Amino acid sequence: MSEDRRDSAMQGSPEPLPHAGSEIDDPQFTDKSYSQGQLVRRRFFRHKGAIAGLAVLIFITLLAFTSIGIGGISGWWDKDFTSTGTVLNGGKPTIGWFYLGEHPFGQDSTGRDYFARVMRGTQVSLIIAFVVGIASTMIGTVIGAVAGYFRGWAESLLMRVTDLFIIIPLLVFAAVLGRIAGDSGIFVFALVLAAVTWTGLARLVRGEVLSLREREFVSAARAIGTGNWRIILRHILPNTVGVIIVATTFAIASAILLETALSYLGFGVQPPDISLGSLISEYQTAFTSRPWLFWFPGVFILAIALSVNFIGDGLRDAFDPRQGKDG
Amino acid sequence: MTTVENSTPQPIDDGTVLSFSGLDVKFNTEFGKVHAVKGISLEVRPGEVLALVGESGSGKSVTSTSALGLLPRNATVNGAINVAGNSVDTMGDRALRKMRGDDVAMVFQEPMTALNPVLSVRTQMVEALELHGKAYGKAADARAIELLAMVGIPDPEKRLYQYPHEFSGGQRQRIVIAMALSCDPKVIIADEPTTALDVTVQAEILDLLRSLKDELNTGILLITHSMGVVADMADRVAVMYKGDIVEQGTAREVLTQPQHDYTKRLLDAVPRLGSRGETAPVVQGEGPKALEVNDLVVEYHRQGKEPFRAVDSVSLSVKRGEIVGLVGESGSGKSTIARCALGLIPAASGEVAILGEDITKMRRKPLKALRKRVGVVFQDPASSLNPRLPVGDCIAEPMDVHKIGTSKSRRDKVAELLDAVELPRDVANRYPHELSGGQRQRVSIARALSLDPELLVADEPTSALDVSVQASVLKMFTHLQEQYNFGCLFVSHDLAVIDMLADHVVVLKDGKVVEQGARHQVLADPQQEYTKRLLMAAPVPDPEEQRQRRLERYDFMKEIGEEDHGLHLDEAPDRKDLMGGSAGGEGQMPPGVSGGN
Amino acid sequence: MTRYILRRLAISFGVLLVGSFLMYILTINSGDPLEDLRQSTANNREVLIEGRIATMGLDNPWYERYWDWLTGVAGCFTGNCDLGTDRSGTDVLSMLGQSASATLRLVTIATFAAIIIGIIVGILTAIRQYSGFDYVVTFLTFLFFSLPVFWAAVLLKEYGAIRFNDWIADPQISPLQAVIVGVVLGFILQGVMGGPMKRRLFTAGSTAAFAIIALLYFTYVGWWRSPALGPVIVILVSVAFAVGLTALISGLGNRKVLYSTLATVAVGSVLYFALDPLLEEPNWWLLFGLLASAVVVGLVAGYFLGGYSRGQAMGLAAVTAVFMAGMTFTDHLVYAWGGFLELKSRPISTIGASTPNFQGDFWETTLDWGTQLILPSILLTLVSVATYSRYTRSSMLETMNQDYVRTARSKGLSERTVITKHAFRNALIPITTIVALDFAALIGGAVITETVFGWRGMGAMFREGLANVDPDPVMAFFLVTGTAAVIMNLLADLAYASLDPRIRR
Repeated sequence: MSEDRRDSAMQGSPEPLPHAGSEIDDPQFTDKSYSQGQLVRRRFFRHKGAIAGLAVLIFITLLAFTSIGIGGISGWWDKDFTSTGTVLNGGKPTIGWFYLGEHPFGQDSTGRDYFARVMRGTQVSLIIAFVVGIASTMIGTVIGAVAGYFRGWAESLLMRVTDLFIIIPLLVFAAVLGRIAGDSGIFVFALVLAAVTWTGLARLVRGEVLSLREREFVSAARAIGTGNWRIILRHILPNTVGVIIVATTFAIASAILLETALSYLGFGVQPPDISLGSLISEYQTAFTSRPWLFWFPGVFILAIALSVNFIGDGLRDAFDPRQGKDG
Repeated sequence: MTTVENSTPQPIDDGTVLSFSGLDVKFNTEFGKVHAVKGISLEVRPGEVLALVGESGSGKSVTSTSALGLLPRNATVNGAINVAGNSVDTMGDRALRKMRGDDVAMVFQEPMTALNPVLSVRTQMVEALELHGKAYGKAADARAIELLAMVGIPDPEKRLYQYPHEFSGGQRQRIVIAMALSCDPKVIIADEPTTALDVTVQAEILDLLRSLKDELNTGILLITHSMGVVADMADRVAVMYKGDIVEQGTAREVLTQPQHDYTKRLLDAVPRLGSRGETAPVVQGEGPKALEVNDLVVEYHRQGKEPFRAVDSVSLSVKRGEIVGLVGESGSGKSTIARCALGLIPAASGEVAILGEDITKMRRKPLKALRKRVGVVFQDPASSLNPRLPVGDCIAEPMDVHKIGTSKSRRDKVAELLDAVELPRDVANRYPHELSGGQRQRVSIARALSLDPELLVADEPTSALDVSVQASVLKMFTHLQEQYNFGCLFVSHDLAVIDMLADHVVVLKDGKVVEQGARHQVLADPQQEYTKRLLMAAPVPDPEEQRQRRLERYDFMKEIGEEDHGLHLDEAPDRKDLMGGSAGGEGQMPPGVSGGN
Repeated sequence: MTRYILRRLAISFGVLLVGSFLMYILTINSGDPLEDLRQSTANNREVLIEGRIATMGLDNPWYERYWDWLTGVAGCFTGNCDLGTDRSGTDVLSMLGQSASATLRLVTIATFAAIIIGIIVGILTAIRQYSGFDYVVTFLTFLFFSLPVFWAAVLLKEYGAIRFNDWIADPQISPLQAVIVGVVLGFILQGVMGGPMKRRLFTAGSTAAFAIIALLYFTYVGWWRSPALGPVIVILVSVAFAVGLTALISGLGNRKVLYSTLATVAVGSVLYFALDPLLEEPNWWLLFGLLASAVVVGLVAGYFLGGYSRGQAMGLAAVTAVFMAGMTFTDHLVYAWGGFLELKSRPISTIGASTPNFQGDFWETTLDWGTQLILPSILLTLVSVATYSRYTRSSMLETMNQDYVRTARSKGLSERTVITKHAFRNALIPITTIVALDFAALIGGAVITETVFGWRGMGAMFREGLANVDPDPVMAFFLVTGTAAVIMNLLADLAYASLDPRIRR
């Protein structure tokens, strides 16, 4: 149905197409109908880009966390990202089609294993991106839902903060906060970023809630004496799940770009820890002499952001086919 | 015809302006092929109204859209379509565009969205005139003003330059009709032209359309689901059911002696004014009234403007076991009163007492306890149930909120309620989107009854349903009311529905009560002018009776000094210009039109 | 309407004030302004520390320092601006003079380029929904969304600038390269134009053939190093534009409009020759004056030839006049390219906002600007184009489903009119909001881009100021970009009001 609506965009669509059965009181298609979850899954798995994105993201995540290990658990890669060593063969990468070699991504000028460094950078960037995505979703959902349902102060707050970010670039604000929190560890840094990136999602949730609270099932719930929080939790938020999941995905994608940009500018992850952004910043001048030091982290950022964006696109198609690929 | 390029070499001219023969339309959808129209044949002659009747999904709009070649891409069309003697299916893009507007024009259902909100009425009217070479620049402006005057827009010289949002719904529909008329088409397809309008406005628009065929000899294909509109307008009727035409004939034949079962069922389902006769008034027993509204005022606050008074000192009461019909047109404040009675919107002043307790001044806790005794059914079957909850949970929700019973006893109650609203018990595990509109309204009613309420507020519970579904839901509703004996505030715009159901009627206009009293008294012997107007404007599904009513309505309007709503040809001074578009057209001149080209 | 605008301005001003407070407090608390000196091994360390405390007023409480800054800024309204000094005592206002213009130029160009390109691409993808072209553009927008700007900038520097500079030293295009470029162009264009297979093949073939021949010919005559358009091309392209514009907006059937735009081109052609001496060594005021008179020529032509559709004729003729003026300007610029190459053998710059000690005439200086600006602008534009084109596409698809579009079709309007007149105007309304919201992101992008390209712009002021915990340069950045954002918002509001009669009062 929704597919058709989109197809018919060019031709003008007539009355709603009569697919749901001809006489209203006996829907012929009841036997064939799918539950919400089935429909979502079916649509998502039909989206090739999203499936490819999911595969790439899982591969990168597994690679990053199993190779050098995390939090004291060692992985299968024998080198770490801080020890220096002798530079072999000008530090060139040794990776081939079917083997990794001694230094798959090469070495930097002090002989550190670049594969281990990129893996650590990927870990840090992924952790930050996911923490930012999830934390900002939680903040945004609560503020958006409260603003949309109760209006009042929460709505004013949301609107004024939005006004603020129309005037101050997010990156600038985050840079100032990152300058303060950058060396307090990646989790604190991620939470600080989440504290400034929730507005978009909050606006989205607010919009959804505003339209849902005018729906008759919400009025019916209020009329029978349902409490406000029960209405929000049981009747409103479950109906915004699709929007929230999709927005979270896109928030993760933009968080990874924001974090790497900040780290690149020097207001993000501070040495000795590394992120993909600080790697690029560190080695960008080496582009002509050792281009691999520049290429690998960039390609990883691009691959992560692109795959997350495609997953988001697939989820949007799945949850809200009317909106389709159109946002 | 000179107007059409690259069409069939031999135009077929059999006196019809629009004909379908063996029309067959299929759609490819996500869920497989849908056969929307199954080989139907129809024809419309000049100066004739053919009504195409059917319920939603019968394929009637698909049929009409195919005449303009505007079906979506996923449609497969077979069969022959002829407009003004030219075959639509063999036309090229250019010829098709030339035909649209020039030979065949369309009037859509929703006047609020049919006009482009960002372009002035002038721009939208003039573009068709210039496109089809009828007039340019200043001359086109003049012609547009003339057309607006014809369809009865006051002060057209000024209003031409306004934007759609500055007109009322009825006026917008008039503008759409004026646009449709602008190139003097041979046939107008009107797709539910009055469905979105109030009944009095509907009568006016129908008057206007009727004068089109009489005075301009235009053929009209009228698509509608309302048998009353058919009786009022149609010369001939075709009844469509599941993509097929099941019956076709003159309006009188079909409406008074239907042959096909479906037509009979459809006609039987139409609620008729005055069919119930007199009934005894309900006698209130002990205790307070179910609902008592005194001097209620509700205001909506608007930014930077005076608050809008939606309800203005309204008083009414609902006894236990009584159904009070609240009737009025859009904007009369009837839904606002219902919502206020449910405590969903605050009252500016006055009191609303449910079972003797004034809820306007009540605290939260006792209010919640009181709400246990009130049930509610809303209008829109698509949004009245939470899509994320299975039907059983929806029905059990009030019991859950008020912590009544165990989960076992709730399940039993749900099963019992499903039986009461005549739905199979296994529906409890389905999700709302799996049900049809009528089934969902039944679920809403079951939910409203789950706590055995003493007051039920029903806000247009059947107005979004097809007439046959409406009939069965209303029948069940009456039955349940007798069984559970709740007091009910029943809001509707449809007088016939109110007549079928209510014991007491309250007529509202612009937030004020115009008239109230026992049903039979108000509806059979109205005292107020507005009530009379409402009653006279409601069409009945019998051509002869409806003609009679129409004449009575004309007399009444003359009496109260209102002008008629047909074409105002006398206000269009240059008749020559008006007819200029039909150069080379059929020789037959409409009666009552002097001059011509 | 005026009240609405004033209210919006007042709110923006309040937000600016609150924002400045937040920024100031956060900046001075973001680190230790004396860190570098504390770690220094210089003998006069204590003196240096004392000096910095004095210049930055570090011993004053935060609210006094903020108040000082605020009163200094408030002075701008009375004509004596004081934006403070940086930590070494340099006046921020004087620093601002050079850096602000470079940054604002960059951001403005990127914004408008992104709006125009993004909207056009968005409409085309909406019209050609589910075509190969649509899928390719969709993939590209996702790519641009996911691109780390700082990384892409380095790539662009390498491949866009250094390789181009190498190539322009001895521009050669081999037949094979020409064929590849031609085929690719042809393929893209057929995707955009659409239509039945036969027409697509024709489009692709003719485009490819034209491109291949042009490339080889240009290489053969050495056009790359000493290019020229000449009057013939200028006039032909302008005529094509006039006809195309008329066809798109009012249809070629409307002769009055067609004659108006063509007459404008005719007048423009005469002026092309007449003004040639004047344009040898012009200045910006002269050029603006000429542009204004071009608009007047268009309006006059439309007024006298427009007849019944005078309004539209005047508008379109004025647009045509502006286009032709632009072509003439481009013609002169292109002509100056040869001389410019003599002055600067590696034309595309990778560092800085202008070439130091560059001496050239007006046209050469303009070219120098352009070559400095081109890479950062491309980069900044790409990301915003991705946003705008996606948004336009969905907005267009949404409006194309509306009832009034169906009404328009049922009147017999052509698809072109339905799209340009009925759907597009409505689709633009939500886009204005996005443009306003996105402007701040663009400034953020500019900070990164300037860093990569080593500009001494606002971005550098901000970055260094923040790194040094030096509030005044950071606040100057905030002030300039914030004000720009407010102005941009105002423009968006005005555009919104002019598009939507429902909010006009």
